[in-house]
Amino acid sequence: MKEKMKKQNKKAQSILPKKAVGRPAKVAIRQLPSGVRGLDAILGGGLPEFSFNIIAGAPGCGKTTMVHQIAFANATPKKPALYFTILGEPAIKMLRYQQQFSFFDEAKLGKAVRFINLSDVALEKDLNAVLEEIIRQVTAANAGIVVVDSFRTLTRKASGDAGAVDVQSFIHRLAQFLTSWEATTFLVGEYAEEEVRDNSLFTMVDGIFWLSQMSERNSVVRKLQIYKMRGQATVPGLHTVRIDQGGLEAFSRTLGLVGSTTKAASRQRLSMGIPELDRMLGGGLLEGDSLLVAGPSGTGKSALATQFIAEGLRHGQPGIMAIFEERPEGYTQRAGTFGLNLKAAVQKGTLEALYLRPLDLSVDETMQAILDAIKRVGAKRLVIDSLVGFEMALAPGFRADFRESLYRMIGVLTGAGITILSTVEVEDNFTSLQFSHYAISFLTDDIIRLRYVEIDGQLRKVMVVIKMRGGNHSKDIREYVITDKGVVVIHPRRTDYEALVTGIPRQTGPRKAQEDEVPPEPKAPH
Amino acid sequence: MRSLAKRLMVEDPPGPKSPDAEITAAFPASDRLRPYLATLMGKGGFRALLLRALALASEDVLWLRAVQVRADGSVEGLEALPTPPDPIELLEGRVVLLAQLLGLLVAFIGPGLTSRLVGETWPHISPADLDFSHEGKNEKTK
Repeated sequence: MKEKMKKQNKKAQSILPKKAVGRPAKVAIRQLPSGVRGLDAILGGGLPEFSFNIIAGAPGCGKTTMVHQIAFANATPKKPALYFTILGEPAIKMLRYQQQFSFFDEAKLGKAVRFINLSDVALEKDLNAVLEEIIRQVTAANAGIVVVDSFRTLTRKASGDAGAVDVQSFIHRLAQFLTSWEATTFLVGEYAEEEVRDNSLFTMVDGIFWLSQMSERNSVVRKLQIYKMRGQATVPGLHTVRIDQGGLEAFSRTLGLVGSTTKAASRQRLSMGIPELDRMLGGGLLEGDSLLVAGPSGTGKSALATQFIAEGLRHGQPGIMAIFEERPEGYTQRAGTFGLNLKAAVQKGTLEALYLRPLDLSVDETMQAILDAIKRVGAKRLVIDSLVGFEMALAPGFRADFRESLYRMIGVLTGAGITILSTVEVEDNFTSLQFSHYAISFLTDDIIRLRYVEIDGQLRKVMVVIKMRGGNHSKDIREYVITDKGVVVIHPRRTDYEALVTGIPRQTGPRKAQEDEVPPEPKAPH
Repeated sequence: MRSLAKRLMVEDPPGPKSPDAEITAAFPASDRLRPYLATLMGKGGFRALLLRALALASEDVLWLRAVQVRADGSVEGLEALPTPPDPIELLEGRVVLLAQLLGLLVAFIGPGLTSRLVGETWPHISPADLDFSHEGKNEKTK
């Protein structure tokens, strides 16, 4: 008998195609677009089709807006989105407010997106009746997306031990029906974070979207966390969320920049637009480097950044200037006084000046704005002026993440061959040479330090290249001026002074004859 | 708004077109909107809106003060009036009430969505006639 079975099995195996005897193919879970910018990347590609999800959080976090975006992004007349409202925000008010968002497509209303109020059933009958009505409506409409808002108020109606069982049974039957019906479901509810552990709803659902608002000092920021998403890997952690005219936008804490990139083995030298400085840098800045220009106010950091960008444009390298301290017009105006026409580049689309100054920005959304601009113009050079202004523009709650996010962004951008010049203001003291109070030098490949020194009864300016990761550089401390040509390095290194870096040097050589400056050194307007 | 309401009443008189609608002789237009709006807002929501419309309409049409809105959103009380309104007065009352109801919808959900909703309720009315953008809420019919 055994022998016979063995023979039969062998025969059967030989008949089967080779594929069938291997590991059976996994089910492919189709992913739906969320319609929320940035969310698909956080979700690991999109919303898993036929999943049963909850969008939870405190009032005012953006739950309703998020689910509207999902509904409008996926609803079609053949597979409509049914939006059940129950004892929550009245539908008429929902329509009133949600139509203000650009994603709200009036043409979809009634056919592709349908609102159904179940308050009467919920108030007059029980959960069974609500379930029956949902089943009736979903079956009749052949819904592809189902929203129940607010699920919390619906289940609150049932109380006590018996009520808890009713709720559990209701959720179970609802999930069973909607999944079998091939609908992707979103329950919307106001829940507190501590409820996740004790409420069986959170065990039963496939996905948990948690929205929250965090306040620190005077600013409030919205956050999103994907607590759970069965079947796919999501980006962990708290992601910033902003609600504007386009609806909800999510900013992945990894900025979508995953994986490391390595710099090309052979990189060209880029001119800073200041020949003497290029020589100090060993022939120019290495392509894909991150340069930090540190110095006190008025030493010409922005002027140097302007020349860096303008030189790139001259060589056909588009650029982005992320400005946090002055208006873009100030930049282009100053460039004009140096004989650099940045306005033309802006008009041509090879240069974009981002003026980012609101005081409640998140570091992720700011960096997203920079990344978007880089993509738009195909930038090869980026100026961040300044890191202090950048940090100040952030809501206080985000400042702790500043260095981490900056590190991530600089790493990926420079890896992609973009050369970055960041400025940072440091206060000069007259005992030592501080590079930056930020401890960000680990972020940068190269550092140029600008400082004031007292020489011959004048407050003059000197620069020195502190560090160049990719090659040798000049060790000279060089005096420079800001003229109608921008930053101009003058004089060879001084050998008649020592302790220049302290700002109060001592004269060691013979005193040279000095001519009075009449008129004083021309200065770029601010 | 009243001229549009009148057009809706006169050009396409409401009939029992929706199986869900329980058409009453007194206020057929609001009854015709009822199933659509009750699906959207619940019976309670529709009743609340109609109560407001009735309160506003009663300022212009005095006999409307004697009618009430039932829990299901239908209107009653016309038969109890000591002097029933003549057909012209009846039409005016209906038009003013419908105009106020449409005015409230425009105020809450805007002209675009109101047009869509009314278009679904009165499918024979040309969409061009359903432009609520320029309708004045307090415009008189007389």
